[in-house]
Amino acid sequence: MTPRSRLVLLALAALILVPAIVRIALVLPGFGAPTALYGQTVNALLPDLRHVTNMVAAVNFDVRGIDTLGEEFMLLCAVTGATVLLRGARGERGNLRAGHISGRPVLARADATTLVCRIAASVTMLFGISVALHGMTTPGGGFQGGVIAASGLLLLYLGEGYAVWRALMRGPILALLEGGGALLFVLCAAGPLVAGRPALENVLPLGDLKDLYSGGLMVGVNAAVALAVAGGFGLLLLEFMEETRVPADDPAPEEAEP
Amino acid sequence: MSGASDGLIACLLLAGITGLLVVVTRDPCRQVYALAGNGLVLGLLFLALEAPDVALSEIAVGTAVTPFLFLATLAAIATDRAQR
Repeated sequence: MTPRSRLVLLALAALILVPAIVRIALVLPGFGAPTALYGQTVNALLPDLRHVTNMVAAVNFDVRGIDTLGEEFMLLCAVTGATVLLRGARGERGNLRAGHISGRPVLARADATTLVCRIAASVTMLFGISVALHGMTTPGGGFQGGVIAASGLLLLYLGEGYAVWRALMRGPILALLEGGGALLFVLCAAGPLVAGRPALENVLPLGDLKDLYSGGLMVGVNAAVALAVAGGFGLLLLEFMEETRVPADDPAPEEAEP
Repeated sequence: MSGASDGLIACLLLAGITGLLVVVTRDPCRQVYALAGNGLVLGLLFLALEAPDVALSEIAVGTAVTPFLFLATLAAIATDRAQR
């Protein structure tokens, strides 16, 4: 396709799309105007119905909990798929040495970098745990807390270097977190089914508003999401990092010719 | 634009500028850092729009995890090429 024909195509597309976009933009509600009926209903009803102050968590983990269950398993499938693909091409055995391009200088880390990263990694992980624990009361929750805790692992790598980081990260433990979180979510969903109730019905005592334990079954779902997300992201980081190591002596088995 | 504060407008402008920078950067390694900068600005924009939970995930995913995955991939490609 020549640049000229691309421009013609762009002009044709703009001719059709721009009037439609302008028309829709003109009838949108004003910027920041709270007109969504669903949001206002949730704000009005859920504090009394579920005893939580974080409405996003209440919608994600209770009102539309089944949607979140599906999303949780999308994450599980994505992480599993990436892990299987990468390991399939690389083999299972680890190697503690990072890969190196010859001729490129390797600079030793300054002690200050290591110290700052150790402190920052600890604070980041604690903050992630705190965000996850307070999912029912303040903005955030399992997903945010899990991702923040996993990003603390990156700071750990920045400070310690490949070999120490690789020795600290245990693949099976991360996989256990990921799978255990997903299992906990399924148990929370299936528990009420056993008692003859709808799936994910909030059967636990709801607790007090603004308390660390509030929202009943949502606390379990929140913890499940936090575990699965932290484990899943940690596993993803580990698998991508493994791609940069010195290849181990065992080459991956060649695929059998059909 | 009722209710839009100066900080919000600044965030929106910055989001546009950093997004453009990601597109016009040609070197993939620099582009990763441009992407991380764009993620940070988007996080601040979400914060200005009173969505702190979205801001938390955007900063963790868009500024830390995604750029790291790209950097690890680029490093893997570079070491693989060096060995051939």
